[in-house]
Amino acid sequence: MSVKYESQKIAQNFFTFAVLLFLVQVIVGLIAAVQFMRPDFFILNFNVIKTLHINALIVWLLAGLMGATYYVIPEESESELWSLPLAKLQFWATVVTITLVVLGYIWAGLNPQANTTIFGTLTLNEGRKYIEAPRWADDLIVVSVLLFIFNCFMTVYKTKRWTGIQGVLLGGLTFLALMYLPGMFYTKSMVKDQFWWWWVVHLWVEGAWEIIAGALLAFMLMKVIGARREVLEKWMYLEVGMVMFTGILGTGHHYYWIGTPSYWLWVGGIFSSLEPVPLLIMVWDAFRTTREARNVTNRAGLYYTVSHAIFNFVGAGLWGVIHTLPQVNKWTHGTQITTAHGHLAFYGAYVLLVMSMIYVTLPAIRGVKEYDSSRALQSFWWMTISMIFIVLTTTGAGMVQTYMERLMGLDYVAVKTTYNLWFWILRAIFG
Amino acid sequence: MSNKAARNLFVFGSLFFFVIFLALSVDTIGKVDKRAPEITEEVNAGKMVWHKYDCIGCHTIFGTGSYFAPDMTKVVERKPKDYLKKFVMDPRGVNPKAAMPKLGITSDEADHLVAFLEWISKVDTNGWPPKPILATAAGVGGAELTPGQRVYQSLGCSGCHMINGIGGTTGPDLTKVGARRDRTWLMGHFRNPDDYVKGSAMPKVEASDAEIEQLTVYMLSLK
Repeated sequence: MSVKYESQKIAQNFFTFAVLLFLVQVIVGLIAAVQFMRPDFFILNFNVIKTLHINALIVWLLAGLMGATYYVIPEESESELWSLPLAKLQFWATVVTITLVVLGYIWAGLNPQANTTIFGTLTLNEGRKYIEAPRWADDLIVVSVLLFIFNCFMTVYKTKRWTGIQGVLLGGLTFLALMYLPGMFYTKSMVKDQFWWWWVVHLWVEGAWEIIAGALLAFMLMKVIGARREVLEKWMYLEVGMVMFTGILGTGHHYYWIGTPSYWLWVGGIFSSLEPVPLLIMVWDAFRTTREARNVTNRAGLYYTVSHAIFNFVGAGLWGVIHTLPQVNKWTHGTQITTAHGHLAFYGAYVLLVMSMIYVTLPAIRGVKEYDSSRALQSFWWMTISMIFIVLTTTGAGMVQTYMERLMGLDYVAVKTTYNLWFWILRAIFG
Repeated sequence: MSNKAARNLFVFGSLFFFVIFLALSVDTIGKVDKRAPEITEEVNAGKMVWHKYDCIGCHTIFGTGSYFAPDMTKVVERKPKDYLKKFVMDPRGVNPKAAMPKLGITSDEADHLVAFLEWISKVDTNGWPPKPILATAAGVGGAELTPGQRVYQSLGCSGCHMINGIGGTTGPDLTKVGARRDRTWLMGHFRNPDDYVKGSAMPKVEASDAEIEQLTVYMLSLK
């Protein structure tokens, strides 16, 4: 097995960068877990560690999705990439920008006064969760993403071969790029600040990224099992369609308590309750398709693909829907239950997705026929068991917190340091 | 259903819902300023301080953020403003057990930050955060409370102090304060905390002589 088109190998650069950042994410995650018990444990404070943790997550997933796209596009349009040098330039530009941003976070963490304001924007850390990257970095990231999308579109445009999978994939990526923009301007009102911030955060993870996931899931099922394109693409359209029908207005579940009008309680409650439906269809789709599979050489690829579908539903779907109704959310909002949901949702929906894309494509890129999948399966179980424990401990902590702080009126710090201590210890051990 | 029909359903269905979302968003942006007090220059400067020190990297605001430190939405209702100012400038100088590090926030920045947090507390958040059911229920009767307990409650002392596990952790625990302090110390300390504990962040207790007396009796009963 080898790649059909030489330029597909660029995916490997992105995958390597992704795995590197994944390691960073795990290491700083462990530091953060210890800081829940000992805030002074490390030279950098929790806020910097956490910023690195979630930024590494976002960027390694994005790098993985970009690599995956560079692999899928030539294969689907049956031609080399429009410009391989441009793809390489875009890769290195991304690496340099991200490195500078990370150094900036660390510097601002060691010396907060260095985070000065120039032309009304902060130079090192904008202090807005997930999109802490300063404006100059935002601009560079936008340029990089535009080059990436331009390169992909030109490849398809040149060959005039549009397939459903690449259409949806590029559509999702374009939507992703557009939804980065609402996070790029300053508003004096914290209410508007959070309103636009959720456009970025929600419409990425519960919109654009799910569209990309739907397209890649179809691609992988086709590659690993050899399922029929027509059937896969029809279900893909229905899945991503449902994601958008429920997910766009589902944004409303973030507009309950931030100073926005109360009609969002209805809009968000109804539509976000329906959000798990397309995720369940994806699980059913994956099972239905794989049952027909007889001879699968890439067992690890198959394993990761199917478990992505399952944990996408459990983490994003079930763990989300339990606290999405306003009546429930009023009590659980902003507790560790949100942390639990965030961890399992990202793991199921995107971590496993990018990993399965790597397992599906890397054998071809490296030109290996068969590989020993036992280590891949072992690491799958280690990771999944650890993640389940992280989620169970934070969910437990969140339930105790909801009861003691929100219902009984105990102090936040008292609950965190006394009543939740064992949850933090267990989480650190497994996390 | 043909593949083409499925594709059209996806594309045009998505556009349909996006247009509704856009319309609701326009309506919302037009309404949010009326649901909050006016944003002064000081409030805006405070918002920049909030961003500069990456406060959301630990705290939450409107319940959104990092779940590592307390939510700041209603913090000015729970803590005196002078206390907040002193605390953010030097957390462990005020409360040795505080987890928050000293970030180098200046006096001006602290004033702006407190103004910003006061603005936040007045935003109409559809009733969030809710009042704790059990704690509120325990205080509803009022009749069972002694006069001292009622003063303790009306002054909001439990925002910082804890008695039998209920209350804040930023001030000293008062569960056994009656065993530690005598009547003269307590009375004098209420009138001017700084005379008794150098650099204390506790504000002077603004209450009548009778109320101070009742509060002292209550404190002395805690042994």
